[in-house]
Amino acid sequence: MGVWGALAGAFVLLLVLLAWWARAEASSKDSRSDWDASLREQGESVEACSSEIVSQIFSVNDLEFISGLESPGLERLFRRERTAVALHWVQETSATISRILQRHLEASRLSSDLEIAMEARILLQYVRLKLNCGILFALIHLLGPQRLAGPALHTERLTQRIGEALREFQSAAQLRDGAGTP
Amino acid sequence: MKAMVKPLPVQQAYEDLLQRSLSRIPCDLGRLLYLASTRDYNTGNYHHDGLADRFSLKVARSALEIAHRQAFCKVAVLSLEDLVRDLATYLQCSRENPEEFLRTWQRLEPYRIAIPMEVNPTVARLFASNVRLALAVLRLRRESDHSDR
Repeated sequence: MGVWGALAGAFVLLLVLLAWWARAEASSKDSRSDWDASLREQGESVEACSSEIVSQIFSVNDLEFISGLESPGLERLFRRERTAVALHWVQETSATISRILQRHLEASRLSSDLEIAMEARILLQYVRLKLNCGILFALIHLLGPQRLAGPALHTERLTQRIGEALREFQSAAQLRDGAGTP
Repeated sequence: MKAMVKPLPVQQAYEDLLQRSLSRIPCDLGRLLYLASTRDYNTGNYHHDGLADRFSLKVARSALEIAHRQAFCKVAVLSLEDLVRDLATYLQCSRENPEEFLRTWQRLEPYRIAIPMEVNPTVARLFASNVRLALAVLRLRRESDHSDR
């Protein structure tokens, strides 16, 4: 009973955090800070986050450095700051994934020969990445970013890969459509 | 016969900037703030008289923009420990009163002006957060120095 109760509790907590993430993501579209908005105005031209940046956000070394200074106040500030940056990164990544899929759907609508199996694979990848983001969002709140460098880097790599794959896929489709038109 | 590859004007201007101006600045943060200061607040265009004289206005502008982005990326990925060291060097070179410097930087956050235009919002946020933390570390060190005396 104790184990099952704990598991059920953890499950409910995860669901609550996922719901919170979904709400945060929806509201973040409307209520990002002016500073973010001004940076975002450049739209698609902004660079993606590199793996180096993601490693830095989730770095354990920085926490060790701060812990070494033996100041509880400073450590609290560090945890607060890094958690905020990590959550921002998750929201940005999630938004990037949505943008990539949206662009792909727009291109697919114009394509003359859709491959159902390929489309299904892309959709599955999309759902998987979105789920990754949701779980990361919840775990960052629960554990702090420093223990999540591995999953964060994995999500970053998957996002980059799906972006590249879809770009190539779209270029190939455009070439095919171009060759097909008389 | 081997063909000589002629460097592009922007590349030449960039190297000129590195050699003449940036190499004299002893820290990454100092170089970043110097480059950000060559950007017009109203238009976002970069300007450097010497560089524009030697090359052209357009070439100088591009070289400054590239150098600014690179300097920013370098500082954004510094570990907190390295950033604290870099900020301490910058503070020392500024010859300002450290107490006043730290207070002003913590209140006004002038380092935000160092963020280039087309930068990923998360990277910009990480940079600002890291500088805030580095300032807090320097303040803590000063306070513990005072209490030790």
